[in-house]
Amino acid sequence: MRRILALALRDLKIEFRSRAGLLSTFFFLGVVLLILGFALGPETADLKRAAPGVLWVALAFAGSLLAGRAWGLEVENDTLDELLLLPGSREWLYWGKFLFLFGLLFLLSLIVLVLVAGMFYLPLTAFFPLLVTVVLGIVGYAAVSTFYAGLVARLSTAQLILPILVFSVVVPVILAAVKATAALAGGAAVADVWPWWQLLIAFDVIYLTASSLLFPFVVEG
Amino acid sequence: MLSIEDVWKRYGREWVLKGVSLRVAAGEAVALLGPNGVGKTTLLRVAATLTRPQRGRVELGVDRSELVYLANPPAFYRHLSGFENLKTGTLLFGRPVDRAAVEGALKAVGLPPDKPVAAYSSGMKKRLALARARLLRPRLLLLDEPETALDAEGRTLLLGLIAEVKVRGGAVLLATHDRAFAEAAADREVALS
Repeated sequence: MRRILALALRDLKIEFRSRAGLLSTFFFLGVVLLILGFALGPETADLKRAAPGVLWVALAFAGSLLAGRAWGLEVENDTLDELLLLPGSREWLYWGKFLFLFGLLFLLSLIVLVLVAGMFYLPLTAFFPLLVTVVLGIVGYAAVSTFYAGLVARLSTAQLILPILVFSVVVPVILAAVKATAALAGGAAVADVWPWWQLLIAFDVIYLTASSLLFPFVVEG
Repeated sequence: MLSIEDVWKRYGREWVLKGVSLRVAAGEAVALLGPNGVGKTTLLRVAATLTRPQRGRVELGVDRSELVYLANPPAFYRHLSGFENLKTGTLLFGRPVDRAAVEGALKAVGLPPDKPVAAYSSGMKKRLALARARLLRPRLLLLDEPETALDAEGRTLLLGLIAEVKVRGGAVLLATHDRAFAEAAADREVALS
């Protein structure tokens, strides 16, 4: 656990110092929200109705820029071999990289939540259940992204292939998260959202378990 | 200690290693010599378990936590300082981190602790790799062209590291083009062709 945490914290430190992935992601996020705002506005009711979808479209698209960062850091520094030489099963590497990507996506999702609430009138009255939905959604997204990013890390076309691989698998998570967010935005009680949360939890558990178990077999120097 | 038996490795259709066998005993340093493209680096990567051979067997004789592989060029995180690279590297290796030991290892190779690796020269990166190897105290040390980019003082440090590993009963396998360095560093030379 100590090594998993150390790996995630080290990667976050490098990412914040280099700012390569974060700057492009936040710029892209701003552009996406601006375009959607112009396309769907200016009626408040239209913007409000679209808010849950906008939240997840922005998160998924902007998140796709961060998806490759977990292993992109290693490729940029040519340190992938060093990482694979670390003793022990390679499962812990997956968990460390997952935690790093989850941290980045969580930060991104907080910013997206605030921006969507401001621009699209997404009600934050049910902030805690909304946050739970976001966390459950990004866990699944990060689980799949970390796995596939490791798989294609050494390919020169990794940046092109990764979103295709990730989106094809992560669609159920995004759909369930959109439904749960829409229900919460419409004033539904937590009990009404619970079935969507159960679905998200099931996907998260399946993706995390399968990815961490398969990871040592797909990543090689 | 290290045993490589009848190893065959190909990239695409081209065989790089064809039935290579090699043993490195405890307390011994062996130098791999040979022209470019003969498979020296590939053999080291196979020995380091970084790549799987199509055929053959590799027995490390030590736990993977006792193996250190110094690639050429050595790889470090550019946005971290030399100290941060060694500290986190040691921690991720599963070893306890002793701040004084990390600082001592950097001082021993003449590197400033706080300078980011992005500002390091090739020789400084090699010295940082030596510091890392010293800190991890490997029983099996694999070195890929370790002498390149090092000045005379750096080479002395490198020879000191090799001697240290041997004295502890460890084994060293190194690849080099430099016959004079091989003679100085190794007990035995093996030519790949």
